[in-house]
Amino acid sequence: MDEEYDIIVLGTGLTECVLSGLMSVGGRKVLHMDRNKYYGGESASLTPLDEVYKLYKMGDKAPEHLGRGRDWNVDLIPKFIMARGKLVKLLIHTGVTRYLEFKSIEGSYVYKGQKDAIYKVPSDEKEALSTSLMGIFEKRRFRNLVVFIHGFDKNDPRTWKELDPQKTTTKEMFEKFGVDANTQDIAGHALALYRNEDYKNASMVEFIERVKLYFESLTFFRDSKSPYLYPLYGLGELPQGFARLSAIYGGTYMLDKEGCNIVYDDDGKVIGVESGGEVAKCKQVICDPSYAADKTKKTGQVIRALCILNHPVANTKDALSTQIIIPQNQVNRRHDIYVSVVSYTHQIASKGFYLAICSTTVETDNPEKELEPAIRLLGSIEQKFITIKDMYEPVENSEKSGVFISKSYDATSHFETTCDDVLDIYAKVMGEPFDFKKDERLEQQQQQDEM
Amino acid sequence: MSQRGGAQRPNGAAQGKICQFKLVLLGESAVGKSSLVLRFVKGQFHEYQESTIGAAFLTQTVCLDDTTVKFEIWDTAGQERYHSLAPMYYRGAQAAIVVYDITNQDTFGRAKTWVKELQRQASPNIVIALAGNKADLSNKRMVEYEEAQGYAEENSLLFMETSAKTAMNVNDIFLAIAKKLPKSDSGGQSGQRPQPGVRLNEQNQASEGGCCK
Ligand SMILES: Nc1nc2c(ncn2[C@@H]2O[C@H](COP(=O)(O)OP(=O)(O)OP(=O)(O)O)[C@@H](O)[C@H]2O)c(=O)[nH]1
Ligand SMILES: [Mg+2]
Repeated sequence: MDEEYDIIVLGTGLTECVLSGLMSVGGRKVLHMDRNKYYGGESASLTPLDEVYKLYKMGDKAPEHLGRGRDWNVDLIPKFIMARGKLVKLLIHTGVTRYLEFKSIEGSYVYKGQKDAIYKVPSDEKEALSTSLMGIFEKRRFRNLVVFIHGFDKNDPRTWKELDPQKTTTKEMFEKFGVDANTQDIAGHALALYRNEDYKNASMVEFIERVKLYFESLTFFRDSKSPYLYPLYGLGELPQGFARLSAIYGGTYMLDKEGCNIVYDDDGKVIGVESGGEVAKCKQVICDPSYAADKTKKTGQVIRALCILNHPVANTKDALSTQIIIPQNQVNRRHDIYVSVVSYTHQIASKGFYLAICSTTVETDNPEKELEPAIRLLGSIEQKFITIKDMYEPVENSEKSGVFISKSYDATSHFETTCDDVLDIYAKVMGEPFDFKKDERLEQQQQQDEM
Repeated sequence: MSQRGGAQRPNGAAQGKICQFKLVLLGESAVGKSSLVLRFVKGQFHEYQESTIGAAFLTQTVCLDDTTVKFEIWDTAGQERYHSLAPMYYRGAQAAIVVYDITNQDTFGRAKTWVKELQRQASPNIVIALAGNKADLSNKRMVEYEEAQGYAEENSLLFMETSAKTAMNVNDIFLAIAKKLPKSDSGGQSGQRPQPGVRLNEQNQASEGGCCK
């Protein structure tokens, strides 16, 4: 430990592991430590199942009827991977994808308050025209909007339909196509995946790009019914994969390290990290908010309910995996509620079991009640684990000290914001933005592997 | 598109099946894990092999009668050094080579710990081989052949003394593992992993089942 490093990374959550990997590939000498004895921090998948019961202080042992504990890999945060999103780009760029196997999520559903029911989000034009989500005339208007989005190119005025990309808000665009409030909810929350209504007054360009990402992700695999991917053995495989990348390029890994206290000089610049009485020297630190509490501020709370089921969710055609979005308007809230369901087919539960995680941003003093509309959809629940987590982000200018702090995992249903955080920190630490063009060292490596 | 452990039909080839297996290496630092892989995959040996950087994922095939066995070889990347090897490393591994250095008794002790760890963590039918490496340095021997052989027998491990330097027994140990691996139609899956997922790469996007290689 008493060596000198360019960068010390604290915490092995996904953000930290991706950064550690990119830094090592970039030739930096990296030491990566965690206070836990397992990889993943907040983004770990816990195994065996007993560990989940211990974490939630519900005894030392999971009940017998839930099967073999080792078959379980229980995610603590619910997220899926956009098939054409930034995380997949990073996985492919770095070659980390070779350590992982994925399955496509079987369907995406949206809740409609009026009917108190869930409906499949149309995944192609055929489904869009046959969906019972909207009436016949509304379907046509929706289709016109989708056709416009497909054709839209911000550099080609012929595709703009007289809507100036610089000036037009999403709300104005909706008005132009005459789509009703329900359709707006579907487009804004189930396709563009916005969590609240702020997007309506923002530029339509971002909205269009998000919907395009959704549709492009749908075409990742032939026959996919949702834009999402999920790794076998749980999300915890992702940080482990990037940690391996970092180690291959010379990164040193130490888990189960006590303390991990950041040490500063008199001017408040970082000089190293202390653990067990020893100090490892470094020029920069990257860490999650729990390692630098004095330099972070609380931004809100998320509530998550992990629910073990022994059946698929009703009205999802017995899907082994699905996402359900409850748009805030449909249940008179300010933030959407998400339900993500994965199961034994992803090697995260023992045979016959499902894991549904309901989550949302906390708005009231009774967060558990806020999740009710989601819990209701699940049917009988074998076991429920509730977490209410504070979310943090770095205070302004905290990086002046040479300490770069990631944000807590937010309530979004995918990793796009996590990747934005990664790329943002990368640019600050390295002094230049990350370049997705092939890296020379990685390319050599990949050629070697082909032999 | 490669499916780990999945049986694949070679394109247009009339010979028998191809089975792909994940093989992991374990052992104390500097016992010669990377050197064994380098010898097996590329037929090379470096006197001053750098502590593993870069090449920690290589593939090599061996032929057995009508079957081609493709090894997907994982090297530890040094993550074992501070007991920080990720569970992902063992995950789905169908074979392991636990390496020690015959000139260093401590590395043999550590090898035994790895065997225990594998028996606890890895899949129950994993094929484990014990390699007493640096056999060319037998004048500095600290671990007796019989001692290691006895231990291997007790624990049902394959055992050979090897030398990455002279190539002694290097191909042989991989071949012995290949012979012992189950080569059912499901390609060594032993029925444990019902439907494997897919790997992502630039080619498989929206073109599953493509056959141009
Ligand atoms: N004489 C002799 N030297 C060997 C043999 N195998 C490896 N070495 C030497 O032992 C040293 C360590 O070999 P590596 O292959 O790097 O060992 P490793 O187990 O991969 O080490 P780490 O990557 O640090 O875990 C190198 O200097 C090799 O040249 C062998 O069979 N005979
Ligand atoms: Mg090595």
